[in-house]
Amino acid sequence: MIRLASVTKRYAVGSRPALCDVSTEIGAGEFVFLVGPSGSGKSTLLRLLLREERATTGLVEVAGRDVARIPDRKVPLLRRTVGCVFQDFRLLPDRTVAGNVAFALDVVGRPRHVVRAVVPEVLELVGLTGKEKRFPDELSGGEQQRVAIARAFVGHPQVLLADEPTGNLDPATSAEIMDLLDDINQAGTTILMATHNAGLVDAMRLRVLELDAGLLVRDERRGGYDNPDGPSETSPDIDTGPLDTPASTGPLDVPAQRPRVQAPAPTGREAG
Amino acid sequence: MRPGPLLAALVTTLRRNVAMTCAVVVTVTICLAMLGAGLLLRAQAHTVDDFLLDQIEIVVDLQDGLDDADRQALRDELAADPLVVGVTYESKQDVYERFRRDFRTSPDVVAGVGPDDLPASFRLALTDPRDAAVIVETYTGRDGVEAVRDQRALLGPLYRFLDAFTLGAFVLAAVQAVASFVLIYTMIRISAHARRRETAIMRLVGATNAAIRAPFMLESALAGLLGGLLAVGALVLAKIYLVDGRFARQTMFPLFGWDAVWVAAATVLAVGVTAAAGMASVALRRHLRA
Ligand SMILES: Nc1ncnc2c1ncn2[C@@H]1O[C@H](COP(=O)(O)OP(=O)(O)OP(=O)(O)O)[C@@H](O)[C@H]1O
Ligand SMILES: [Mg+2]
Repeated sequence: MIRLASVTKRYAVGSRPALCDVSTEIGAGEFVFLVGPSGSGKSTLLRLLLREERATTGLVEVAGRDVARIPDRKVPLLRRTVGCVFQDFRLLPDRTVAGNVAFALDVVGRPRHVVRAVVPEVLELVGLTGKEKRFPDELSGGEQQRVAIARAFVGHPQVLLADEPTGNLDPATSAEIMDLLDDINQAGTTILMATHNAGLVDAMRLRVLELDAGLLVRDERRGGYDNPDGPSETSPDIDTGPLDTPASTGPLDVPAQRPRVQAPAPTGREAG
Repeated sequence: MRPGPLLAALVTTLRRNVAMTCAVVVTVTICLAMLGAGLLLRAQAHTVDDFLLDQIEIVVDLQDGLDDADRQALRDELAADPLVVGVTYESKQDVYERFRRDFRTSPDVVAGVGPDDLPASFRLALTDPRDAAVIVETYTGRDGVEAVRDQRALLGPLYRFLDAFTLGAFVLAAVQAVASFVLIYTMIRISAHARRRETAIMRLVGATNAAIRAPFMLESALAGLLGGLLAVGALVLAKIYLVDGRFARQTMFPLFGWDAVWVAAATVLAVGVTAAAGMASVALRRHLRA
């Protein structure tokens, strides 16, 4: 679903690269954490996948297409296959919950009957039934992030990118959001989530990619937040864990039973 | 985008940017009114032209009471003149008919005049209209000749007046067009800033560039349309109160009619809408990163 081959990204000529010779592959249906200290290049990697930035050298492939070679006017189609959520939610303050979700469909020209049918479904999925008419400033942070996830997911993208989606949330709410993302992943969407939330990564034990100063220093099948091989000065070439040859065909073997993070399933909980 | 959401986007844009949009409408109105005025002045020049083309260049007015033999002698002499290619005689009645036809739009002028008030005349077609002065000189003061008139020469000042005002109107329109562009540019910048969250999200969820630009283009086109309508209103009022209500009583020349006003109105509206949208698209290139 996502393939990077020797990707280097330099924001300015001669500057230290934000990503340096990163190669990895993420299969359809995988859930992958992207960890690493601040400034290590996590957001940069996500932006490359959306073609908000272009790789300086190397190949970036999303859903089988070389992102660099998509003509400008086809970039919107790429972005419809790749949903996105952020730490700061990025909701429109003057639109209701339903309005924010419908916006994503309206602006890509989906017909009204589709919007009418799909928006309530997605709001139910993220557990916001009953709050459709609220405005973002009448919601908790966790609820706002649910709206953002609903908006990213409403077009049924193949890939969902999440850049520190729990960065502004308390641990319990973070766990709820994590469960929601997990549900979406179980339904078949590939998810790549950049995070600093060690608790979540450790609890989920999913694949972990670790960046350090632009280098991919770890690719671990069931990793935790911290690098078991010690501090991250190690070169990426030495040992990248069990995924040296990532699966390029089809989804990885997803564990049948995933650990739930402490909080129960969120659906409809706040509505009552 | 569907019309519904597009309209909603337009309303948000307008609401957040009322003052600037009003400023654009005012400038565009002035610009288009000037353009329309220029077009109408040109129409007026054409109206006068048509009126004169209808006529022979030189008119030899005959004294009342000239007898047939003398008239025939004068006619033969004129016809023999190498500068003249054609001579037509018009009796007092003929001249009166022509006068009524030429001034059909100014009934006030026609009302006080009868066939006897107008001289019978010869109308001369010249080989070269530039020889008019020679003819005027030769035949002025001849027996039986009341006056020799070169109608074009009489109209020189009028043409110069019309040309100067047409030019002035077009120059003013061009200056206002530059001002409009600057204002539209600023309006788009402010709108783009006010809608930056929306556009960022639109881009993120895969809206096309056309969809992202549409509300801005629409805002500008709407300002252009409003300015155009106001300018058309001004032209119509000018036609009713200034042209028909004032000038028609003061001049002997036929004035442009409503058809010219409607042509100018359609031009002004079309130019207003397309130019405003075009200017917006230039401004968007600068203010909306693709
Ligand atoms: N638009 C930009 N222009 C220039 N340099 C940039 C730009 N964006 C990021 N960088 C640089 O690239 C490097 C990687 O930044 P990036 O935002 O990808 O880090 P990150 O891993 O997402 O950090 P954080 O965890 O704090 O979000 C940093 O050194 C940063 O200064
Ligand atoms: Mg970041």
